[in-house]
Amino acid sequence: MPADIRSFFAPKGGAAPAPKKPAPPPAKPVKRGRKVVESDDEEEEVKPAPAKKPIPKQAPKTKQEEPIEDASAYFASSGKNKITRTSPVRTAPPVKKNITMKKLHLNDDDAKYLDDDDDEYGDDIFKSEYGKVAEDEPVKKKKKNDDMDMDDYKDDEDDEDEDMDDFIDDEEEDFKPKARGKPAKASAVKVTPKKTTAAAAAPKGRKRKSITPEDDDEEEDEQPKPKKKATAAAKRKTPVKRKEVEEVEESESIKEILSSVPTVRPPTPPPRDDTKKFNYHAYKQKAAPPPPTGTKDIPTGAENCLAGLTFVFTGNQQSISREDAIELVKRYGGKVTGGPSRKTSYVVVGSEAGPKKLETIRELKLKTIDEDGLFALISKLPAHGGDSTAAQAAVKKAKEEEKKIQEIAKEMKPNTTVAPGKEAKDANSQLWTVKYSPSTMKEICGNKGQVDKLQKWLQNWPKNLKKNFKMPGPDGSGLYRAVMIHGPPGVGKTTAAHLVAKLEGYDVLESNASDTRSKKLLDTSLKGVLDNKSLMGYFNTGDKKVEAAKQKIVLIMDEVDGMSGGDRGGVGQMAAICRKTQIPVICICNDRRLPKMKPFDHVTYDLQFRRPTATEIRTRMMTICYREGLKLTPQAIDSLTEGSHSDIRQIINMLSTFGVSGKEMSFDESKNMASAWQKHVVLKPWDIAQQLLQGHMFAPTSKKTLNDKIELYFNDHEFSYLMIQDNYLKPNPQRANNCQGAERRLKLLELADKAAESISDGDLVDAMIHGPQQHWSMMPVHAVFSTVAPSSFMSGSYGGGHMQFSAWFGQNSKQQKLNRYVKEIQSHMRLRCSADRHEVRQFYVPMFWQMLCRQLEREGKDAVDGMIELMDDYFLTKEDYDAIIELGVGPLNEETLKVPSAAKAAFTKAYNAASHPMPFMKASNVIAPKGKAAKKEQPDFEEAIEEDEDELEMVEDAEDAVEEEDADLSKDKYVKQAKAKGKGKAPAKGKGKAKKAADDDNDEDGDEDFGKGKGKAPAKSRGRPKK
Amino acid sequence: MLFVDKHRPKTLDSLTYHHDLSNRLKALANGDFPHLLVYGPSGAGKKTRIIATLKELYGPGVEKIKIDSRVFTTTSNRKLEFNIVASIYHLEITPSDVGNYDRVVIQDLLKEVAQTQQVDLAAKQRFKVVVINEADHLSRDAQAALRRTMEKYSPNLRLILLANSTANIIAPIRSRTLLVRVAAPTTEEIVEVLKGVGKIERLEVKDGLCKRIAVESGRNLRRALLMFEAVYAQNEVVKDNTPLPPPDWEALISQIADEIMAEHSPARILQVRAKLYDLLTHCIPPTVILKTLTFKLIPKIDDTIKADVIKWSAFYEHRLHLGNKPIFHLEAFVAKFLRLLESYLMDMDYDF
Repeated sequence: MPADIRSFFAPKGGAAPAPKKPAPPPAKPVKRGRKVVESDDEEEEVKPAPAKKPIPKQAPKTKQEEPIEDASAYFASSGKNKITRTSPVRTAPPVKKNITMKKLHLNDDDAKYLDDDDDEYGDDIFKSEYGKVAEDEPVKKKKKNDDMDMDDYKDDEDDEDEDMDDFIDDEEEDFKPKARGKPAKASAVKVTPKKTTAAAAAPKGRKRKSITPEDDDEEEDEQPKPKKKATAAAKRKTPVKRKEVEEVEESESIKEILSSVPTVRPPTPPPRDDTKKFNYHAYKQKAAPPPPTGTKDIPTGAENCLAGLTFVFTGNQQSISREDAIELVKRYGGKVTGGPSRKTSYVVVGSEAGPKKLETIRELKLKTIDEDGLFALISKLPAHGGDSTAAQAAVKKAKEEEKKIQEIAKEMKPNTTVAPGKEAKDANSQLWTVKYSPSTMKEICGNKGQVDKLQKWLQNWPKNLKKNFKMPGPDGSGLYRAVMIHGPPGVGKTTAAHLVAKLEGYDVLESNASDTRSKKLLDTSLKGVLDNKSLMGYFNTGDKKVEAAKQKIVLIMDEVDGMSGGDRGGVGQMAAICRKTQIPVICICNDRRLPKMKPFDHVTYDLQFRRPTATEIRTRMMTICYREGLKLTPQAIDSLTEGSHSDIRQIINMLSTFGVSGKEMSFDESKNMASAWQKHVVLKPWDIAQQLLQGHMFAPTSKKTLNDKIELYFNDHEFSYLMIQDNYLKPNPQRANNCQGAERRLKLLELADKAAESISDGDLVDAMIHGPQQHWSMMPVHAVFSTVAPSSFMSGSYGGGHMQFSAWFGQNSKQQKLNRYVKEIQSHMRLRCSADRHEVRQFYVPMFWQMLCRQLEREGKDAVDGMIELMDDYFLTKEDYDAIIELGVGPLNEETLKVPSAAKAAFTKAYNAASHPMPFMKASNVIAPKGKAAKKEQPDFEEAIEEDEDELEMVEDAEDAVEEEDADLSKDKYVKQAKAKGKGKAPAKGKGKAKKAADDDNDEDGDEDFGKGKGKAPAKSRGRPKK
Repeated sequence: MLFVDKHRPKTLDSLTYHHDLSNRLKALANGDFPHLLVYGPSGAGKKTRIIATLKELYGPGVEKIKIDSRVFTTTSNRKLEFNIVASIYHLEITPSDVGNYDRVVIQDLLKEVAQTQQVDLAAKQRFKVVVINEADHLSRDAQAALRRTMEKYSPNLRLILLANSTANIIAPIRSRTLLVRVAAPTTEEIVEVLKGVGKIERLEVKDGLCKRIAVESGRNLRRALLMFEAVYAQNEVVKDNTPLPPPDWEALISQIADEIMAEHSPARILQVRAKLYDLLTHCIPPTVILKTLTFKLIPKIDDTIKADVIKWSAFYEHRLHLGNKPIFHLEAFVAKFLRLLESYLMDMDYDF
């Protein structure tokens, strides 16, 4: 019997990569129980039985998991109820007991499952199960025999399962923390039998759920579903979309292969997601560490062997990165889609699979495999998918497509020769892009809707002109005299514009970036055209026909966003033209959202052209290839499309380049070509930080070299490291994924510390680069220290929302502003106190803050007099008062200050009412807008001048100050002149002096003396530069 | 006016501490006056002594000071505005105000001053004095520009350099100047000063309070006087145990220290970073932040790791001087501290 069983399992066991793995026999039978229904008789013979099964279940946990295929694993983890659930399928009468025992709470699931899968079976679960058995039996007699054997076996099995449960219970207690939230891992592990330690964790994830307290019953019931799906799918034996292809019987060989592919149980989606919104970030945070990268041989399969199969990838694979895996599938003719759907043949599940996807998998009962399964598929399937239904369908489709292409190609023939190259030139001398440019609406690739809109707009243009563009029309285009087509390069904007103009019988007047289009030139060159008719039509008034055809002109302004530099005012003028043009204008640009395109807002009817889909391009390209006698597989074309970001023009150019040298292009060649032609895109700082911190840049499977990473820094060397610095603390570092609890906390700090230290190192390098020595050659070093190394420590799933822009710039400019305030305050106080500006900030400012601001807040109006007195003592101005408020930090934060507005007003009023001493006049402040500037020049030499607040225009911006100093100097020369003229100023000064005279009597002499001394000094300083 | 400026001693004789130093300065002023490099911590009375010395040199004329604003043009044609505090006998400049362009100021201004003779024929001295504040923040270039000027124009010019420490001053300059160290006053001396001020202001002086202020101020007399005044300004009745409010930035740093101790996680570093940025933007020098933070943290941690913390604090303090962006180094210190602390705590766990 054991032999029987083993052979019975053979297909699965054999398919598993490591035939050696010691399989716990009890686990197997369970699986078999399901399999019985699924598998074909031949399989027994085909696959040699794995020899090492008989290791007892109670063996150490690690062993236990190793051998487990889906079903067994399922049992191991989920305990008895599941056994009973599956057992009925086994068709064994004795098992019925079990079923009835457990039936009650299983009912729903089973019923549902059966509903989905086999409609004929009806709702009643007993009925359905037996019905199914009955149906299966005649077909698979031999199986039945096996089943009988198994039934005997069954009792043992149950016992063992129980044992296992106990065992797992223990185990779980040890591992509980780890097991939590790691269902993904479980599945991944299961399939790689070699990873024994990892495998140990597997059951826990699953187990947890079955062990959960009684009230979780519902949950428990639900969870089994996915497993069933998986097994169910396998059971049905139609590997691809059972429901759809149900009637079609697969050929035996294919069946065999497909069934031999090891399936995996998709990890149960976390239970929470039903009840509340799933917190993806939290999940990510808890997610299992990426399993160690094994190096597995990637099998080479027959050409196109995955034809017709659709794959979905989710989670991280163990030994192959996502990109590589996708490429692999595409190479063999498979299709990869982003999300699972009904058409998906296989879901390749890795660790950290997306919970959303898992749910869809559960709903659609998709077949899940892991990377080993994928490899197995590739290595086993015959070329072109053999005779499997999916492959045949694919082949059929491909043939149809080919036929279509040939038809189109034939159709195209006359067009190409006549249409684009109007001068019947030798076709060979034309660029392919010209040669194969579309000549009818039908041939336009993608953006059909937009082109239709364009055509309608042009059709209705004359009508709308008569209505003076007052009627919006059905699509709202009737209001616009001009159209703005925008979209990425190479999607056919210009082509569409020309084609539509031609089809509507317009003459095209084109202007592109090669013409200078400044405001003036636009004015002169276009003005004439805009309200004129075509000359031909004008002169041939007698000939109606000519007029009708020739008087229509359309202006196509290509590359409008290329108007820059020399084209001063061009954009604005263009917009103005669009507003009042008498002929239709079509503007074309790449990026409509650029600020410089703003003038076109509400002026033009915007049509966005998007990149055409791969399918749209493929047909067209295949046609061209056919016409040119090139042989390219659709996959090759797709890879070109992908590589060029759907830039049709580039693809055609690549094809024509290739056409010179060869006739056949393989997938790999196309891949290489696409990457060689890849456009270099300069990444934005956000993308740089994202790629470094969040992406899989530093994952073990990543193939990026250090140079690639450094290159990212150089995409924007001024921002990238600041972006990293701002964001490096936010990801959940991959490197800490293996740790839990306190250990993890320490690990996180350790990583953060390393990253921070590296950033600190980077700053030293930066100082060398930007210091007096200008060691620019050290930039790569800076890249590594400031950007790459910190990211390498911290990169991981990004939990903190999106990347933040570096705060450094904002903080820096704020610091400079406040620094200026402090300097200002200190320079005012200088006559009274000896402290430098740091001391002023650290000790005087808090003091002033308390004695001025807080005082005003507390005592209101009463405080005003004292405040003003204190401020005058230190020559502080009202601006200084505001600056002091702003300088408060922490407990003296600006926001904590709530001065009643009455008090504020009283203070302002009192301050403005009196005049205040000024320690000196800043040269830059002297330029007052009132024309008194010159008069104020003099006070430079006064010790203190009394000035009314409003006469002073404090220019705070240093740059302004610098600019104004020019004027200031020139005024200096006329100081005397101004004095002579400026009688008006003298009294003011006199007044100031008079007031002061009382206190500063003896200062007067000093002033005079100084004045003399100074008089010389400026003269000298002016003279010096000339020497 | 605040006490600290109102009661500033005007003559060397009225200075209340460091009498030896005062006497020596007096002797110098009446004899052959050399270039001086006066150094010592802030709030020790360097500037006060200098002003008093100048008064000794020239008489009361030096007290009549005014601020003059001058414009300098750099080689790259940038205009720099520069404030000069001056009496007829002396100039006081702070070249670090113009950052990296201090060399221009030093060259142009000093030469200009040095090339002209004393204007006041009645002046006691034939030379003028230029006081250079924050001399330790002078760039290397500016210091190099100084050294020749000091010798060449010595008949017309004496320099008094003021610095917190001589560490950043190049050796050639140190060798050309007489080094005068003004030590911070002892707490007793500060208490004396506070009592004296209290007496003049007719305040009820509490011994205990003065003592506490003296200790709290870190032997910074300026700070002590400001604290003294703040306490009397903010409290109706002043007792020995009246709380002394720390300045705003110090309060914030204590808050940061508490936060660091409360949670050890990268997220906490992020929160701390925001506060550090706050301090930096509000013009608190990064070295002050680092130093204050370290000494706020030290009492909260176990003796075992204190040495390490100090070591790393010094390490990053050095980097603050070498690097460009202080926040990077401050943050690195916080990260390092958290790691040290956490691994220390973990070890404790294992011991149990």
